[in-house]
Amino acid sequence: MSAEAMVFLFGVIVGAGLLFVKVFFVILISDLEVDYINPIELCNKLNQFVIPEMFVQAFMTFIFLISGQWIATLWNLPLVAYNVNKVMNEKHMFDPTEIFRTLGQHKKECFIKLGFYLLSFFYYLYRMILALVSDS
Amino acid sequence: MRPAQAAPPRPGFRPQQQPPAFGQQPPMPQQSISRPGTPGQLSGPPTPQQGFRPPMNGTQPPPQNFGSRPPPLSGGMSRPGFPQDPNQMQNAMRRPSAGGNSMPPSPSMQRPPMPNGAIGSPSMAHQQPHLQQNGSPLQRPPSVGGMQRAPSPMMRPSTLSQPGSPGMPRPFQSPQIQTRPPPGQFMGQGQQPHPGSPAMRPMGHNGPPNGAMPGYGQSQSQPPTPKMPHQQQQQQFPPQNQVPPPQQLQQPPTQFQDPVVANLGSVNSAPVPTPHGGAHKPKRMYPQGAGSYQDPASSGSFQPAVLPGNTSLQGSTQPQQLNQGSQFFVPGENQGSGMVQPVPAYQQGLQPLAGQPLQPNMAQLSNQLGAMNVGSGPGYGFSGQGTSQSTVALMGVAPKILDLEAPPPTINLPTGSSITESPYANCDPSYKRSTLNAIPNTSQLLQKSRLPFGLVITPYRSVKEGDAPVPVVTDSIIARCRRCRTYINPYVKFVEGGRRWKCNMCYTLNQVPSSFDYDPETQQPVDRWQRKELNHAVVEYIAPTEYMVRPPQPLVYLFLIDVSYPAVQCGMVATAATTILESLDRIPNDEGRTKIGIITIDSSIHFYKLSSAAAEPQMFVVSDLDEPFLPQPQDLLCNLKECRPTLEALLNRMSDMFKDTQIIGNALGPALQAAYKMVAPIGGKVLCLQASLPNLGSGALKMREDPKLLGTSKESTLLQAASSFYKTMAVDCSKSQVCVDMFLFGSQYSDVATLSCLPRYTGGSTFFYPAFTAAKSEDALKFAHELAEFLSQRIALEALMRIRASKGVRMSAFYGNFFVRSTDLLALPNVPRDQSYSIEVSYEENLNIPVVCFQTGLLHTSASGERRIRVLTLALPVTSSLSELYASADQVAIATLLANKAVERGRSAKLDDARDALTNKMVDILGVYKTHMTASSSGATPNLQISDNLKLLPLLTLGMLKHVALRGGSQIPSDLRSYAMYLFSTLPSQCLISYINPKFYSLHNMPGNCGTIGENGIEMPVSMNLSSERLERGGLFMLEDSQNIFLWVSKDAVPQLCMDLFGVPNYESIRGGKTTLPALETDFNQRVNLIVGKTREMRRTPYYPQLYVIKEDGDPALRLWFLSHLIEDRADPIMSYHQYLGHLKDKVNSGSF
Repeated sequence: MSAEAMVFLFGVIVGAGLLFVKVFFVILISDLEVDYINPIELCNKLNQFVIPEMFVQAFMTFIFLISGQWIATLWNLPLVAYNVNKVMNEKHMFDPTEIFRTLGQHKKECFIKLGFYLLSFFYYLYRMILALVSDS
Repeated sequence: MRPAQAAPPRPGFRPQQQPPAFGQQPPMPQQSISRPGTPGQLSGPPTPQQGFRPPMNGTQPPPQNFGSRPPPLSGGMSRPGFPQDPNQMQNAMRRPSAGGNSMPPSPSMQRPPMPNGAIGSPSMAHQQPHLQQNGSPLQRPPSVGGMQRAPSPMMRPSTLSQPGSPGMPRPFQSPQIQTRPPPGQFMGQGQQPHPGSPAMRPMGHNGPPNGAMPGYGQSQSQPPTPKMPHQQQQQQFPPQNQVPPPQQLQQPPTQFQDPVVANLGSVNSAPVPTPHGGAHKPKRMYPQGAGSYQDPASSGSFQPAVLPGNTSLQGSTQPQQLNQGSQFFVPGENQGSGMVQPVPAYQQGLQPLAGQPLQPNMAQLSNQLGAMNVGSGPGYGFSGQGTSQSTVALMGVAPKILDLEAPPPTINLPTGSSITESPYANCDPSYKRSTLNAIPNTSQLLQKSRLPFGLVITPYRSVKEGDAPVPVVTDSIIARCRRCRTYINPYVKFVEGGRRWKCNMCYTLNQVPSSFDYDPETQQPVDRWQRKELNHAVVEYIAPTEYMVRPPQPLVYLFLIDVSYPAVQCGMVATAATTILESLDRIPNDEGRTKIGIITIDSSIHFYKLSSAAAEPQMFVVSDLDEPFLPQPQDLLCNLKECRPTLEALLNRMSDMFKDTQIIGNALGPALQAAYKMVAPIGGKVLCLQASLPNLGSGALKMREDPKLLGTSKESTLLQAASSFYKTMAVDCSKSQVCVDMFLFGSQYSDVATLSCLPRYTGGSTFFYPAFTAAKSEDALKFAHELAEFLSQRIALEALMRIRASKGVRMSAFYGNFFVRSTDLLALPNVPRDQSYSIEVSYEENLNIPVVCFQTGLLHTSASGERRIRVLTLALPVTSSLSELYASADQVAIATLLANKAVERGRSAKLDDARDALTNKMVDILGVYKTHMTASSSGATPNLQISDNLKLLPLLTLGMLKHVALRGGSQIPSDLRSYAMYLFSTLPSQCLISYINPKFYSLHNMPGNCGTIGENGIEMPVSMNLSSERLERGGLFMLEDSQNIFLWVSKDAVPQLCMDLFGVPNYESIRGGKTTLPALETDFNQRVNLIVGKTREMRRTPYYPQLYVIKEDGDPALRLWFLSHLIEDRADPIMSYHQYLGHLKDKVNSGSF
């Protein structure tokens, strides 16, 4: 298996993980809207995934970078920048006291990220298969 | 965990605290209030109300059952099912099931069990839980257990067949709620019914409502209106079924005695509907009323019937009005309030309002007016002048500030909206007011008008002398809609001969508890029309045990006193100790359960053991700030009565104990954690008296004030919390019913923005004393007064507030001090008196109903240890006309809501944005008014016009722009700004308006009766416009903004005045600054002292305004401060009032609306 295939295999796995995390986010946020969960619990649950998610995504970008996958790197870079900016401004965490005021925002962001990860996932899958095919 | 919870037969003291997960087990007894209120959320745990009736809803209990059950027995019988419930409930409650809420529970499933449950057959009771989680057995049997004894078995069938009765309790939906122990826990599990407790008799609710009626000797089923003794009374004044405008009626005896206002008050009360005084005559009109509200689907069974007594009236008016609801609001009717006031000169030349359609049909109008009894006053001739009166030109005239005291526009509900004609059937504006007293029927109309739509609620306002106390329903019959959990209120409709009531929020039919008509205790029929909840919009219920998850908590006061060097130095410690000592008797302690504790903080945390056993208080010092622990498991919080001697000894010595301290460290963060550990098991109040910046341990803060940031867009970072510690702490506290109050004494920067986070999310209060030094007796007095007042407040504890509204509107944003726990549920560990909350309302769908209701339920534990529910119901008419919308807008409420929104914006974004938003809102409103309401709909106008009732809004907006809270510039320290913002978001309208637009009196030439005690207490002078033009040479002026009082002495003041007022020979010897007026024998001095005294207590607020004497040529800072309150003047860089209007006009003319 070529290095390219390995890299994209990694991308597929990580991409799937991120996808699941986002789906989880979306589910919990909509739970909050219909009052299945209270804001404190929601924030406790979500906040433990925020940093890992950002880290994993940044790490994946880094892997793409060192393996010379420029398209994948460029595709991921804006999100990394956005995340870094959020962390710098300390706005990355869910705040139970503000959650109802910012719910719409959070929801929108979640959906956009979900779409992003979904596209990424299929792109990595495609590249992986491509690499495997060209290997053989 | 739920089973575990359910298990303890008698929940001990707050058993639910053990599982720390907040969500799982909300510590609060929110079962009642927290029930999802939105129509979409149908479900809820069983609740008492359901318990009253549910069995009957869908079921046909065989008649014989009724007779056969001995009441006490059955109480026991239904219980055996309980132990199983929790599990089953749980299953049912899991999320999947929650999904079920979308589908109506299948009747077949649910009905069968019910009779059994109701009947109390033990075997059946077991099955029940499966079938419906809300199972009736859980439902607490009506507390007035025996009541339905009067079982008239026959009634059921008719009820059942009601097609529209969706009758079934809905599946649980919200985990929040689900996880709550079923109310049954309390009753059922206990299995020890207090035999005497009526609550335990499940039988009661089976009683057919009409069974209860026999006393009336009327066959209920046929004529919808049973004859009641009052029939005659109704006839006496038929026209009154129009609800009299409550604002006017209830206007409390005016507190501001300036003659005009006083006069106003008296005139206003004139139209009070009846010569019969306040005692409203109950009347039964449900059949007709019901007609107007029926939605076709469910009204099938309803048959209008003729009221024997008042046919003539209702028959004639009602039918017309049914369809007319929306047209009902007549702009002209406004004059009710408008006319009484002296018509300002500038109003005479008004341009008639072109766009204002005259309301539909004169005959109807006069009809209504007649019905309201309002038109009878002289000069109220309904000649259409109302329309012309309602537009005023703004420019070129001084704002008519006296109208700030005017009552809000009348709420003109369609005739017969209220089932009783009580003058108290709609909410008093001091409790709850809406920015719009007529509600647009579509969100498009609201958008078009650009008016903000929201509510301003002060649910726990203090009741001063002369105010009517809140009526209390003592019999714990709490009738609530089984679907949306709305409490029964004067705007429901009784149908089917009064056996059912139709919820005015979701239009579900509900059984009327039979005890509404029959009192089981006395075996007498009672008159339901006398019930307080049907006559009063503001009512309090004594809640039965279903509304508690634990016994009502006692009051707990834990003082966290800063004893570091700065605190001791400024005298705060000594003053606080003395004040607390003196207030010990005033702390509410009705049941002798109140607990008290003291922690002092410097670089370590000092605890005091106050147990009664030890004569001397013992002090424990904990210097481990990383993991603060409690040195003793108990006795740190002590019963106030028992530990009184020890406590007094401690307080007496406190100022000496630390007087030589040199420690400048302060470990507030760790101390808060320790305090939380102490109080959390019970819940209570933590009062932090903090005179230095916390700088040790977690929660340490830095001096971050940076003058370079002030006035820039980064300024709002200073208004946000510096550390997340306090927010996290606040969330924990809110969970455990702990409320934190902050008393901040800053000689330097004290980071009000960060420290006030704790009160903001725990329902607390913040008090800020900049540059406090007890050496100044005025400072000490102010602090001592406010602390004592605060301690003696009869606060509410462990409260939950939910606001429900008629289908179609929902609450979208909340402003105030609380924690938002779910989309419409506010958690308030404490409710201080007179704190105000603003809520923004938005549309979900268009409204095609004539009346929209907003109901606030505040479930709380009163200071006397009773669990109570305070319910505020506000009903507002719906309109489709823009002109009505404008004519009914309430400028005071709008200003309050805008102030809250602006503060929110200023904190989270930029102050510039907040100011722009305010001005833009003003431009929008004026622009829309110009385009749609006036003749000059297009093109530039020479003048700005607005409806009469909104004419002061530009002034109030300008006042906000110029206020410390929002003003631009780099001069305002962020502490002061944060505190002003805090006040903006918590002051009730009454104070906030003065805070924005201070009152300004001329004292040297006030009329002779001012400052003397007149009919309405102390007479106040007439307030003047806030402009320095009014400052005459040689004059003495007073300005007060509810936080401070300024006496302006002109430098040409004659010696006589100085002598009379200050007791000094001439102007030069007057001392400026914070001061106390001497009490002299002179008439003038006494009058001014009375006026100052009156100013200090005329508002509902714990604040004690401080008096400053400003000399015209004195301290420039003071002088500027005073002048900055004169908001109609130009104060660079902000425009004067007239410039501001010009600015608005330019924008209006250049924009399109």
